[in-house]
Amino acid sequence: MQHLVELQHVTKVFAGVEQSLRGTKLEAKGPALWLRNLSRLARLTADTAPPVHALADISLSVAPDTIFGLVGRNGTGKTTLLKILAGLIRPTSGTGQVAGIPLTDPAEIRRRVSYVSTTGWMGLEWPLTAEENVRFFAALCGMPARLARCRTEEALRDVDLWGERHKYPAQLSNGMRQRVILARALLFRTPLVLLDEPTVGLDPVTTQTILALIKVRLRERGQTIIVTDHQSAEMAQLADHLAVLRDGRIALQGTPAELLALLHGVTVIEVQTAGMDLPAGPPPDLLLSSRWEERPGALGIRVWHILARADAHTVAAVLDWIAQPAQPLAGQVVLLAESPPQLADVLAWLEQPPTASSPKAEVRR
Amino acid sequence: MNAESGPRPWWREFGALWAFGIREYRVWQSYRANQVLWITNLLVTTWLFFLLGHTLAGSAAQALGPAYGTNYMSFIVVGVTVNVFINTNLSDPYIRIARAYFNGTMDLYLLSPMSIYTPLLGLMTKSLLDDYPRLFFAGGFGILLFGATFTYHAWWLALLFTVVFLAAGFGIGLISASSFYLLNIKKGTEPVQFLIQQILATLLAGTYYPITVLPRPLQWIACLIPHTYAFDALRRLLDPGAQPNVPVLPIQHALPALPPLAVDGLMLGVLSVVLVPLGVYLYGRGIERARGEGTLTRWQ
Repeated sequence: MQHLVELQHVTKVFAGVEQSLRGTKLEAKGPALWLRNLSRLARLTADTAPPVHALADISLSVAPDTIFGLVGRNGTGKTTLLKILAGLIRPTSGTGQVAGIPLTDPAEIRRRVSYVSTTGWMGLEWPLTAEENVRFFAALCGMPARLARCRTEEALRDVDLWGERHKYPAQLSNGMRQRVILARALLFRTPLVLLDEPTVGLDPVTTQTILALIKVRLRERGQTIIVTDHQSAEMAQLADHLAVLRDGRIALQGTPAELLALLHGVTVIEVQTAGMDLPAGPPPDLLLSSRWEERPGALGIRVWHILARADAHTVAAVLDWIAQPAQPLAGQVVLLAESPPQLADVLAWLEQPPTASSPKAEVRR
Repeated sequence: MNAESGPRPWWREFGALWAFGIREYRVWQSYRANQVLWITNLLVTTWLFFLLGHTLAGSAAQALGPAYGTNYMSFIVVGVTVNVFINTNLSDPYIRIARAYFNGTMDLYLLSPMSIYTPLLGLMTKSLLDDYPRLFFAGGFGILLFGATFTYHAWWLALLFTVVFLAAGFGIGLISASSFYLLNIKKGTEPVQFLIQQILATLLAGTYYPITVLPRPLQWIACLIPHTYAFDALRRLLDPGAQPNVPVLPIQHALPALPPLAVDGLMLGVLSVVLVPLGVYLYGRGIERARGEGTLTRWQ
């Protein structure tokens, strides 16, 4: 099968930031820096700060008509990878093609790709209304005026903003602004759509609306979608295929089911504690990983996710560990539950340092 | 964002420019009070030189020499109005690029299949609405209120000199804009524009006084920038009583075989031919460098 996206050994290294002797970032701080930059042009000196390796040896293929999810924590290279695929930045090394166009021809790639990023309200024109923002972009891309009018209405209706079309970005909520940006990507029937964290910061209802829009509408049009997010629960319901990025590399990839299968034989023990931590002592040998987060909306309640082997002995050992009598319990356990692993657990488990009992070492190999 | 391949047709670029024009009009429209303040500022500036002209009385007119006639107000109005004009072409590119960088819109512009030069030109359309009409205010104040007089028998030649001068200024503007990405000058004063417009043009090009009052070495330095030739040519063509064949600039003295206006035209042409392609090249290189480094916008 001809893949819509194919990358081989792509790397991206950002130049180091110019720094003063005291280590502060220098950005246009006077003639000394101008002169140094002039000399850099002539390749006479090097950067003073070490370069940033954003992507290291990325190879991946994306089949047509799929939703491909890129997940990973902040700073793992998701946005950099999307920008390379969008033809916005050049890779440092590696080869590949996007929609049949080699990476060396970014201008042609940009004609075949729609890219949405909400970073810094990317490209939102504040003097223009929501409708004018979308039409402005259509005009920049050379869409005929009549078609642009129709497509703008269609796109704004799709993101449920047609009623707010005369409002300026300053009059819209953050979520609405994000939907204006998303509407821009809906204007075009490009073979590939790149969505960089399209639901970040949105309320649950709007998130579901956007996810449904991506899953149904874009797919109906036969568009292939690459979407990034660090909300793995959303990715699990959205993506056909997932790649997990870690430190600029693809740590794992497969279908959501395949990734979940990595935790076969593992159970998740969820413990909610109020005003207390879990014991500080060493965890039981068969504990695979543990992490905690504050429960949204409930001050002081922590939700612990403990991954352990799903056998009676291990679960009992874990429960004993939680309730070990030597631990001075100032707070209380408010909930104790056991459930099958979710995609978030796979990602959390990936982030943990490998242990002897972890199946991760085998996966990495 | 469409499946066409090959170079984008020129009319699509014009469509994008038109969209930018509408956008800039909306911005301009939202700051109408600013226009009143600008006109007031212009009036005060012109008035200042009018009063200066009166204070210096005959000595100022005498300093003009035969080449530029005897009306100091006409002399100064050409200096002020042309300065308004060229300041736009020279300073605007850097300012617009900086705005697109800090607003995060440069990524958006370069996502579209537009030429990399179209956003720059498009963002400069505000100047058509805002800065260029100011020329007529500055000239009008000088004529109606302060006694400046002009002759229009060679208006087409004056227009031609103006166009070539604007092209040369735009070349410098592009070089200035390229410094944003090439030299990483993202804050504070941009040195190319500062050196040429704020220092050389203000001090040496003869905006407010003829360059003959300067020491000879400085007069030669003045010959390095297009402003000097534009001021000289426009005053010879527009100021009543000006004598087109009397040389003023050192380079005109050095080339006695050529009439001064021909020297002005030749030098403006040479500077345009050098500066415009150089500016286009450096600006394109700056964008490509930013694309490689991932620094097209502040928001990465």
